[in-house]
Amino acid sequence: MSLLEIKNLSVEFGSEKNPFRAVEGLDLTVNQGEIVGIVGESGSGKSVTMMAMMGLLEGQGRIVADTLQFDGKNLLTISARERRKIVGKDIAMIFQDPMTSLNPSYTVGYQIMEVLKIHQGLRGAALKQRALELMEMVEIPAAASRLAAYPHQLSGGMSQRVVIAMAIACNPKLLIADEPTTALDVTIQAQIMELLVSLQKSQNMALIMITHDLAVVAEVAHKVAVMYAGQVAEMAKVPGIFRTPAHPYTEALLKSIPEHSKGAHRLSTLPGIVPGQYDRPSGCLLSPRCPYVQDKCKAQRPGLTAIDGGVVRCHYPITAKEA
Amino acid sequence: MSTVLQARDLTRYYDVAQGFLKPPAQVKALNGVSFELQAGKTLAVVGESGCGKSTLARQLTLIEAPTSGSLLLEGQDAATAGKAELKAMRTKVQMVFQNPYASLNPRQKIGTQLGEPLDINTSLSASEREERVRAMMARVGLRPEHYYRYPHMFSGGQRQRIAIARAMMLNPKIVVADEPTSALDVSIQAQVLNLFMDLQEEFNTAYVFISHNLAVVEHVADELMVMYLGRAVEVGAKGKIYARPLHPYTQALLSATPSIHPEDRRIKIKIQGELPSPLNPPSGCAFHKRCPFADARCQQEVPQLRALDERMIACHHAENINS
Repeated sequence: MSLLEIKNLSVEFGSEKNPFRAVEGLDLTVNQGEIVGIVGESGSGKSVTMMAMMGLLEGQGRIVADTLQFDGKNLLTISARERRKIVGKDIAMIFQDPMTSLNPSYTVGYQIMEVLKIHQGLRGAALKQRALELMEMVEIPAAASRLAAYPHQLSGGMSQRVVIAMAIACNPKLLIADEPTTALDVTIQAQIMELLVSLQKSQNMALIMITHDLAVVAEVAHKVAVMYAGQVAEMAKVPGIFRTPAHPYTEALLKSIPEHSKGAHRLSTLPGIVPGQYDRPSGCLLSPRCPYVQDKCKAQRPGLTAIDGGVVRCHYPITAKEA
Repeated sequence: MSTVLQARDLTRYYDVAQGFLKPPAQVKALNGVSFELQAGKTLAVVGESGCGKSTLARQLTLIEAPTSGSLLLEGQDAATAGKAELKAMRTKVQMVFQNPYASLNPRQKIGTQLGEPLDINTSLSASEREERVRAMMARVGLRPEHYYRYPHMFSGGQRQRIAIARAMMLNPKIVVADEPTSALDVSIQAQVLNLFMDLQEEFNTAYVFISHNLAVVEHVADELMVMYLGRAVEVGAKGKIYARPLHPYTQALLSATPSIHPEDRRIKIKIQGELPSPLNPPSGCAFHKRCPFADARCQQEVPQLRALDERMIACHHAENINS
């Protein structure tokens, strides 16, 4: 059985009369010990999906799903009290900006220990010992002296390490990293990615990497979901999806990275922008921008169809022969 | 080929207050940087945060005077220029900032903002100004009706087009672009980079392109300058440096950049630690604490830039580690 199973998840914001669908009919399964990348441009619904799953949208968004199951528990029906036992313990999340996800008024030691106190009931010397252990696990130098440091005394990379230490404090089964390295410099980014992957291996966690950087995902993930305007456009295994993308959007994303057109004067681009709240086309969401658009695409929204090693949402997926 | 910009030993120190009784400390944000820029060419400045990239941009755009060293704009020295001459010189260097959400005035219409440089620096009549603005808007891919709109009505990519149009209004010799695409999505980034390349071809503008994204830099640059803690560590033609980086820091930066295709990936060089504080830089070579090849000499003696293999490099052991 898979660790996380999401079927037909939709998230709506705004009034009942005129709602905005941030996520529409999303399916995702994550197995134990698997690294899944979710890529897409801003506004494609990457973060909202994860926040819906964690129960962080209460009171703002309306969440509808056929299945939203984590480790055998139905996340749709459990009470807030039960959810609190899971979130932070079995599912942990790392956010983009470490400077804003740590509380500036408490020492980092206190913030790591808080997790251990609440979820594992540790007290006294054992608590401090475990906090130190965690800080050493995330390779913070001079960990003992850093326990009493406040977030502003640490660099961005160090703060992100503290956030990771908090996230893995209870040996979570699933770690969600929402753009964990976007705010960091390249050399620090490489250090943090290496740390995340080595922790994922040693703890046998599942890891969901939300990012807009395709290259980061290409290096570490086993499976990638490409999202566009709230839907999964394509989900397939790495490196297959990067070698022979089936969805025109995946192909366009790959082509627009400078790495793809080495030596060329111009980059290949996808004209236009992601459709906003009220200008979503009636047919395929990509149809106004798609280079291969046909009449059927403008009239009818495609469903997900199975392809070799994954699924794609396109009437006319690109086959390996054409590409 | 004409040289439009010459920097000789540019240095900028800032005083930082340490407290009431302590003397102010000095941050050597820029420590002797020299380069030349030819018309129609692009110099890319690469480095991690705190390496002096943005300080360099402030010197080049004549926002601040350097502590020492000289800056020659088309042969004219900025240090000896009078007030009126400086005003004329400033029209030749324009800037595009990182965040288009912060660099446009939210209370002015696009037409007004684009017309402002002309209003201040030329004696054109209002109708002539409008004509020039509209021509430039068309050139960067904005529609005529955008003239009367406010910045909040545009997406990030469109805003960056507006910022670029504003920088090009006075037909400058040099445009300094400080991380112009790092706030944008990949597909939009490709559109904006193409616009930069097209404008350069059309107007023969020289670019100083500041970025930490080495994939983007590889696409746009002719010359490359890698900076570390206020000093240039490797300067040369892009092709030469990408084909065979000689400085250990350049090697580390390039190997830390993730890439989609496994065949493009370089052997990972692990560098330890983070950028040291510019308030308290290490003695000798600033990189020695993180460098895998450092020895006693690196701890004592600051390496000077010297010619090696068709580029300039600041490393004592460049020959040994690359043989």
